[in-house]
Amino acid sequence: MSTIAQQSNIENARTLIEKINEKCFEKCIPKPGGSLSSGESTCLTTCMQKYMQAWNVVSQAYITRIKSDPRGN
Amino acid sequence: MDTSSIPDYSVSDFSDKDKKDLQTFIENEQQKAKFQANVHSLTDLCWTKCITGKISSTTIDRSEESCLVNCVNRFIDSQKAIVGQLDVMGGRT
Repeated sequence: MSTIAQQSNIENARTLIEKINEKCFEKCIPKPGGSLSSGESTCLTTCMQKYMQAWNVVSQAYITRIKSDPRGN
Repeated sequence: MDTSSIPDYSVSDFSDKDKKDLQTFIENEQQKAKFQANVHSLTDLCWTKCITGKISSTTIDRSEESCLVNCVNRFIDSQKAIVGQLDVMGGRT
């Protein structure tokens, strides 16, 4: 059973990484050059932390909504 | 996944209690997975709507936070409004 729970955690992390790459690439690398500049790398790191925070805010808001309105999700 | 390590049991060997426990466990996991998938798609959508400026800070500021919270709630409201409207239309056609 713990294997199934673990699989689900891995899947969750995989999706998160995929989304972060998609969103932060869009934000930080508007014009892809010959290599990642240091500014772009810094932006990616910052963006990644910000995206995770946004995920937590959304998750919390969603939980609050479901709890107050269990049939409305 | 290493399937060779799974012993050769059949579900029919399980006691009723085990079957019930297994079913509850699977339902919980499915619900959790569905919840997480919803949070992923909401974050995607609301990030695009609310985080519009340059990325300069690792933290979400107050206005971004309230935008994200509103985004989640209005998305669910929209969903309900659309389903409600479909109900009305379904009654007429």
